[in-house]
Amino acid sequence: MGAVAHLNELFAYRELVRNLVARDLKARYRNSVLGFVWCLFNPLLMTVVYTVVFTVLMRSTIPNFPVFILIGILAWNLHATAVMGAIGSIVGNAGLVMKVYFPREVLPVSVVLSNAVNFVLALVALFALLFVYRVNLSASLLLLPVILLTQVIFSLGLALFLSALTVFFRDVEIIMETLMVAWFFLTPIFYRMEDLVPAYARLMYIANPMASIISAYRDVLYLGGMPGFDFLTRTFVTSVLVLVGGYLFFHHLARRFGEEL
Amino acid sequence: MAAAVTLEGVSKRFILHHHKTRSFQEALVNLVHRRNGSREEFWALRNVSLAVPQGKTLAIVGENGSGKSTILKLITRILEPTSGRVHANGKVSALIELGAGFHPDLTGRENIYLNGSILGLSRKEMSRKFDEIVAFSEMERFIDTPVKHFSSGMYARLGFSVAISVDPDILIIDEVLAVGDEAFQRKCLGRIKALQSRGRTVILVSHNLEMLRSLCDQAVWLKQGVIAAEGPVDDVVGQYLDAVQR
Repeated sequence: MGAVAHLNELFAYRELVRNLVARDLKARYRNSVLGFVWCLFNPLLMTVVYTVVFTVLMRSTIPNFPVFILIGILAWNLHATAVMGAIGSIVGNAGLVMKVYFPREVLPVSVVLSNAVNFVLALVALFALLFVYRVNLSASLLLLPVILLTQVIFSLGLALFLSALTVFFRDVEIIMETLMVAWFFLTPIFYRMEDLVPAYARLMYIANPMASIISAYRDVLYLGGMPGFDFLTRTFVTSVLVLVGGYLFFHHLARRFGEEL
Repeated sequence: MAAAVTLEGVSKRFILHHHKTRSFQEALVNLVHRRNGSREEFWALRNVSLAVPQGKTLAIVGENGSGKSTILKLITRILEPTSGRVHANGKVSALIELGAGFHPDLTGRENIYLNGSILGLSRKEMSRKFDEIVAFSEMERFIDTPVKHFSSGMYARLGFSVAISVDPDILIIDEVLAVGDEAFQRKCLGRIKALQSRGRTVILVSHNLEMLRSLCDQAVWLKQGVIAAEGPVDDVVGQYLDAVQR
């Protein structure tokens, strides 16, 4: 089956994606008494830690630092948990992949989507903080879904690529754990793009879509301004290219999953 | 009559990695030393051609490792053939491992919906079939219990009930009928016979030759990946028994 015809089949299995996302969220929250509260608690605790370190211990001049850092943490958490969770999704479901046929993309797709749902739930904490700090927001807030979509597309492309590669090289997961730490520091999460040497900042916008995505979130949720239209478009196009590449790569390798696991 | 399943000159090769390359480091070392690990080829099927007419039931017999399960996995698209063509005309459902995809922390009810969607059913279809599935499995009392508390027999019963409810055009069964007690097995056989009488195509792999004789029309005897005999089930099973007992 061709890569494009296969998309039809993938769409026919949307019910499975829905169920896997629901399964993941239920399993995540059922076993803890506080359930959903934990998904708010962790980013808020990290916000406190970063705020203490950077404003009290290091005297950062970034205004409304908790809001600034929470946006970065939430966006990065979505990226890291989606990609790292999806990496092992084929290998971890080997029993299923070898016993039942279904479009294999379903597995990484559902991991990324369940983390996206988690992100949306965690936005409750962010909006509470925005209210506390009386951050002035503008109509540009309406762009939030577009930015989230851009990020999900980007993470999904990467997730497809890496989850397929992991079937053949199991150490992808270990390598990525280290690379994600490096990536975290090379992304403006606890610092601003303006704080960088301009040449580096330019390089970062070109080579690191996560830098652009987090900047866009901050334009909308922190500065109350408008992200540049062509800037947002470029990031969106980059993400779509990553997704198309990841999908084709995955599709090419998927026919061998049944015997390589 | 049109064929429900056709295999045209199908071969399947597996690469046996005695020392499977699983990391970049090994891949790199192998590249430098220009060796390919110590790999060995294994042909699970060689040039197998086969046509199962619509509405017929085919038995596949053969010793362990003769390629029976490989054929089933090719028909269900879990594996792709190395060469040749496999074509299934209609919706395929496979009873290869019951309850594959059950999540231990979810209840029986939630797993029925999850498993149904793994088999490609829509939510609407599942809602319509739900009561029937539960009734067939006889698990009404435990349907809201997490399946991790189920016994292996209960697990398999629920798995069978979901898989059989798909109402496929082509049903594939790999040695899974040995689940549950006598009464449940009889019920399973009854359900398979009901599918047969509605003109569905069934492909069965089993070592229970008596059952094959009573359920199947035709049989194929696989020997080391090659078809050794095919024809009416009694003839083929007879030949197979002669060869095994000699």
